[in-house]
Amino acid sequence: MGAQPHKPTVLVERAGYFPVSGAHLYTVLHHVEKPVARLLLAGSFASERHNSFGPWVLWARYLAQRGVEVLRFDYRGVGESEGVFEEASFQQWSDDLVLLANWLRSQSPEVPLVLNGLEIGALLAGLAFDSGIGDVLLLWSPPANANLALRPTLLKWVVADQLFKFGDDRKPATAYIRQMEEGSSIEVEGYRWSAKLWRESFEVVLPSALSDETGARAAYGKPVGVVKLGKEAIPLVKGGPAVADIPRDFSSLFAKNWSWLSAALAFDAGSNS
Amino acid sequence: MIQTTATRELFTVDCQGDTLCGTCHLPAKGLVGSNRIGILLLAGFPMPRAAHGDAAVCWATSFAEFGYPSFRVDLPGVGDSDGDVPAELLKYISAGGYERVAAELAEQIVARHKLAGVVILGQCSGAITAMFAAAISAKCRGLILLDPPFHLPPAVRPTVKLALFRWSTRSRIGGLLSNGYDHLKKLRMQVRMQAGKNAPPENANFPLLKRWKHLASAGMPVLLLTAPEPKATDTKPRAGKFDYLQYILDLAGSRSRVEARVVAGANHTFSNPLGKAAVREQVADWMATFFPFERSAQAAETLTQRAASNIETEFAHRHSILAPVDAPLGVKG
Repeated sequence: MGAQPHKPTVLVERAGYFPVSGAHLYTVLHHVEKPVARLLLAGSFASERHNSFGPWVLWARYLAQRGVEVLRFDYRGVGESEGVFEEASFQQWSDDLVLLANWLRSQSPEVPLVLNGLEIGALLAGLAFDSGIGDVLLLWSPPANANLALRPTLLKWVVADQLFKFGDDRKPATAYIRQMEEGSSIEVEGYRWSAKLWRESFEVVLPSALSDETGARAAYGKPVGVVKLGKEAIPLVKGGPAVADIPRDFSSLFAKNWSWLSAALAFDAGSNS
Repeated sequence: MIQTTATRELFTVDCQGDTLCGTCHLPAKGLVGSNRIGILLLAGFPMPRAAHGDAAVCWATSFAEFGYPSFRVDLPGVGDSDGDVPAELLKYISAGGYERVAAELAEQIVARHKLAGVVILGQCSGAITAMFAAAISAKCRGLILLDPPFHLPPAVRPTVKLALFRWSTRSRIGGLLSNGYDHLKKLRMQVRMQAGKNAPPENANFPLLKRWKHLASAGMPVLLLTAPEPKATDTKPRAGKFDYLQYILDLAGSRSRVEARVVAGANHTFSNPLGKAAVREQVADWMATFFPFERSAQAAETLTQRAASNIETEFAHRHSILAPVDAPLGVKG
């Protein structure tokens, strides 16, 4: 972990498919020669993937410029990955993340492996870390359970959907929740949420040791960062207008997280920025 | 990692100084024939190439099954592609900022895959780029436009307007005031019409309307699908709003081959089940009419069987799939 970062001159991004049982996962490797660390980015869920995509890619490039090789991917049934969304489960998404983390580790086992997740991705990364995968963990806005990440997405969609409906066509979010609880599927921002997805979301829980950084470091003996992203991180996290044609500056957010990460990897960030 | 699966292929294109990332949806080997037309899909602002609700993935998969190789590409600064995003991207797109890059993209795809040409499908801002690119590219043979806006984005962020709109949809008083406002706008519109001013409002995207007129009046096949507007009745826009649809159909002239439809139940992004299904089915019919290829019949048979099975699965809990598309507005030709 003490190696000095090797600043790459040319950044190479390699898109590819990673075969898993029943699907091909879309991946993009931000390749770095002699990386100081490798990092797996586990993104947010379904429709949130599209909203957060821009800064997510920028963060991957930011890290690659600082000598960290990054692998980002789409969950099965979402974005560029194959598979049927409504047939996938949290267990499959979790298993896929583990396969990718192991693949990344296998590239050179002596290089530290970082897991960095956002919202539901943070939850899944936390579960993988809890099972012993990875040397450093950075969680961005992890919910205590997956349902707490699904609810705001549903509420946001209901509000947007209601704008185009009047009178009896309008339904509160609770009506949609009731539909799922009664076994039906609903459509949220182009994705079909099944009753099974909703039910299982309560069972996908952040390991208790990860609820605070100090406790986590003591429990795992490894660096763990837990960051609640605020408004400065929109659209990485929910908030703001649906369509914002405003250029955003993430340099402060990225610098802060890089500072933590570089300290966790035990090298001086100042010499690489 | 691999670049190709049985149905998809990842690719990059160097275009106007940037490396663009894309996904090609490959038609089944048995459907590959000569004189092929591909479909290039451009997502709406600010979506990566999968588009809202992965709708573009669904459509491209379906078009490829029907025999048309389909290409989804991230334009510069969007998704996985290189390039800096202009400060005001929506304004940039509305002014045809991606015109050259999309035209070159179409030409490179045609050359690389030995196609006879491409049809460009665009949703919202993607449709704007599609029209600008089609006007300068000889390789673009047709357009599929999903809810294209023919007006410019507002210069001032409509935060207050949006808040008022939300309030009006929630409160009874707000609803009454909103209806009153609509009537006032309607009256104003009627006065304008009676004065012989059927011209578009000042915030119309005139350069785009010019491209539209050029393309449509020259007889380029165009499939135009729109979603019903909020508070709209039938196929007409909300009271007091300028009827762009009627205006552009008039502008297209008598030689045009524009097929325009309002898709009941679709949302603006066409990412809800009715929207996704309507695009899939409408495009399949339209492509077979305007761009048939030697094995179209075989492909149609396969698609019909798959569509029947998809509809059964997707709409098991819905009641309106039998008429997902209503009110053809103008089929000319």
